[in-house]
Amino acid sequence: MEKKPLLKIVNVSKNYGQVKALKNINLKIYPSEVVGLIGDNGAGKSTLIKMIMGDLQRDKGKIFFKDKEVNFSSSAEARALGIETVPQGSSTIEFMDITRNLFLGKELIKKVGFFELLDKKRMSEESLKVIANLGTTGIRSAWDKVSALSGGQRQAVSIGRLMYFKSSLALLDEPTLNLSVRESEKVVSLINNMKKAGTAVIFVTHNVYHVYPVADRFILLDRGEMIGIFDKKDVKPEDVIEMIRTGTIKNKKLCFSKEGVQ
Amino acid sequence: MMNKKHKEIVIDPSIGIIVVFIILVIIFSLLSSNFLTLSTWIGILNIASELATVTIVVAFLMISGEFDLSVGAVYAMSGMLLAYSLNKGINGVFSMLIILVFAFIVGTVNGLIATKVKIPSFIATLGMMMSLRGFLLIASGGFPIGYKGDSILPNILNGKCIGDLRISTVWLLLFLILFTIVLDKTKYGNWVYASGGNPKIAKTMGVEVAKVKRINFILTAVFAAIAGGFSFGRFGMSYPTLGEGLELEAIASTVIGGCYMAGGYGSVLGAFFGALTIASLRVGLVLAGAPAYWYKAFIGIILIIGMIVNKRVMKNLLKIEV
Repeated sequence: MEKKPLLKIVNVSKNYGQVKALKNINLKIYPSEVVGLIGDNGAGKSTLIKMIMGDLQRDKGKIFFKDKEVNFSSSAEARALGIETVPQGSSTIEFMDITRNLFLGKELIKKVGFFELLDKKRMSEESLKVIANLGTTGIRSAWDKVSALSGGQRQAVSIGRLMYFKSSLALLDEPTLNLSVRESEKVVSLINNMKKAGTAVIFVTHNVYHVYPVADRFILLDRGEMIGIFDKKDVKPEDVIEMIRTGTIKNKKLCFSKEGVQ
Repeated sequence: MMNKKHKEIVIDPSIGIIVVFIILVIIFSLLSSNFLTLSTWIGILNIASELATVTIVVAFLMISGEFDLSVGAVYAMSGMLLAYSLNKGINGVFSMLIILVFAFIVGTVNGLIATKVKIPSFIATLGMMMSLRGFLLIASGGFPIGYKGDSILPNILNGKCIGDLRISTVWLLLFLILFTIVLDKTKYGNWVYASGGNPKIAKTMGVEVAKVKRINFILTAVFAAIAGGFSFGRFGMSYPTLGEGLELEAIASTVIGGCYMAGGYGSVLGAFFGALTIASLRVGLVLAGAPAYWYKAFIGIILIIGMIVNKRVMKNLLKIEV
């Protein structure tokens, strides 16, 4: 029996004025898989992520999550259903401490009489657990300001948030951008942990070497068009780089090797 | 090693201003033997309560990433409206309701212009300030309005409670506690920090940034109106140019109190101490025998010193470079 897709995107298009940012995108994402969404700058990767989250509205097409059609008007709605994102750059606010960042938008609340106050004690205890689960990232306290952390530690906190809230789908937009080699490796190993925990991950990047070790499949976008979906076993990293560079796939068998247009 | 303690290590943004405040108190007490007396401090608190009430909400708004330059005009307009409506025989409750509704409308308009039309709040509220000031002068002909009736409203707002201490100080302390709890201990407070710290990320995380800002604009106008009521209660009169420059004093107090102008960082307690510092400067200079016009020059100096101290605190203790 075929596995049920977690996310299904059917004929989705988006235009920015005359520019066609996405043209008839069709894809399926399954639980516990890591999909590398790759393509050069301007391919439409971030647009696709924002559209799934509800931060951008599509012009055409349908999106299904767990078999139900969804029309998110904001990312809060997507988060409520277990779709989390780490947007490009950062998803942490540097003036705020780790704990406040981790629970932003999903704060833990306790009732004191008629008032609803932050349950700071539980929030910091949970944050310590999240930090401990991240492994040796060098973070000292759950109340450190994010501004005192390195890029890799910040990204670890963002991913820690996705793991804590047990998201079923995680959309990571260039999570290894501007990170050192070791920090990138750490992020990739965290993504592996997420996969083991059952989360499906869409890993957006134009650095094939970062996503290759952890990916199960690749989706290749070029100037708004999806030009290929293929399994990792069918390609080497160098082949993928060549495809991104030229925007064409020479081996036509690879074009839609597993999940094609419906 | 990970810090096993679950305690929040607080490096409050108000540290800098508290240090500046203590130094200022020491200097003034050396310059004048009358400075450290009860009556002087009652005077300082009476002055501070109006400025600090406005400053607390201006700080709250600034932390969420916005400015309000119309607070001085709302303050004046509310004082005038109270005097006018009480003179017309409208009872105290309704008179108070009138100024609160007026402030609610001003705050809503400010918030909508800033978040829907997306005009920077500095400009939107500058426009509001000028319109209100102009309207005040047209409506009043430039004349003050006194009140000699027997409504208890002026006393509730700002009558004397213990000796010469006015009740606005008690109100102020209540507001201070209220806003500190909201900012530090509630989900809404977390959203206020996030909205100013990085609105884009906050939105991605599900924070209703525009709504938070609109609510804060309303709170700012409403509390500026209450402060206007305090002023009316203290003098039993009001005049159209009342509170000119109050908006800048409030912003100065907020900034020397450790709030970051672009938002996302600061505390209500710091803003309170900022206002208290400015009020004690005003009284301290008079007691030290300095001509009254030195006051503004000194605020300028304190503003710059305060900013330098805060920048150091942020850089060295919090590793925030701004």
